[in-house]
Amino acid sequence: MFKELDPILHSQLRLAVMSLLISVKEAEFTFIREKTNSTAGNLSVQVQKLKDVGYIDVAKQFKDNYPQTTCKITAAGIAAFDAYVQALQQYLSVDGVR
Amino acid sequence: MEKEENFSAQHSLQLIENMINKAQNRMSDNGTLYLLWGWVVLICSSGQYLLMQFFASSKTGYIWLLTIIAGLVQIIYLSKQKKGAVVKTYTDEIINYIWVSFGICMGIATFIMTNLGSWVVLYSFVLLFYGVPTFLSGIAMRFKPLVIGGIICWCLSIISTFIQQKEILLLLSIAVLSAWIIPGYLLRKKFKSAHI
Repeated sequence: MFKELDPILHSQLRLAVMSLLISVKEAEFTFIREKTNSTAGNLSVQVQKLKDVGYIDVAKQFKDNYPQTTCKITAAGIAAFDAYVQALQQYLSVDGVR
Repeated sequence: MEKEENFSAQHSLQLIENMINKAQNRMSDNGTLYLLWGWVVLICSSGQYLLMQFFASSKTGYIWLLTIIAGLVQIIYLSKQKKGAVVKTYTDEIINYIWVSFGICMGIATFIMTNLGSWVVLYSFVLLFYGVPTFLSGIAMRFKPLVIGGIICWCLSIISTFIQQKEILLLLSIAVLSAWIIPGYLLRKKFKSAHI
């Protein structure tokens, strides 16, 4: 029986954001934008979706009069990421048998 | 990375690997603090040795007050760096705490030695302590010159037990040169080439 791939994570940009955040303690929006090569508009929409499902925490504050957004993965996000990778491995092992 | 179409499991895994590599291969240390402390301790240790050579004064140790200025420079530098940081990795955090615990150990050791022991014993322990954060930072950053520098400090610490005179200060100079100054310049070079 195949585990279903989490539709929230099975999207290029959201998965890229989660993969970045799982490797670091926290990262600023600008860092994520640079590393994922995305536009600010698209990234904010995807970050909001990840925040809505509770996979990441988003903190907004001001630094030298400029707004600064910092993202951090949550425990629920780590669990979802783990489950997603396990499901992927299942798909890949079947592909390997074929 | 604008598309939202379905992509294969293989592609997902590649994307995850690629992103994790991008986050982890970030070169975050530019070597500034290694150079700051390396040069300050080198000036203090060599300076005290020269002063002891030419003046029979017990006040030569006051040259170490320079480290207070270095401490202030470090505080200003770190607060500026914190403002400019766009990402905080677990490795950065662990390395920071390794150096904090080193600072605490140095403070307590100095307190113990000045109350109970002799300054010669203190220097042997200082050399021993220098090795710990240097070695661990090198391991955490996968940067060999620091690992080698840490090991050199430990060797010098053993050697120091045979040199119980003012020449022990020169061992301290060799220690900071090999553990902080040389790796500091190499780190700076690596940082610059990574951020071109």
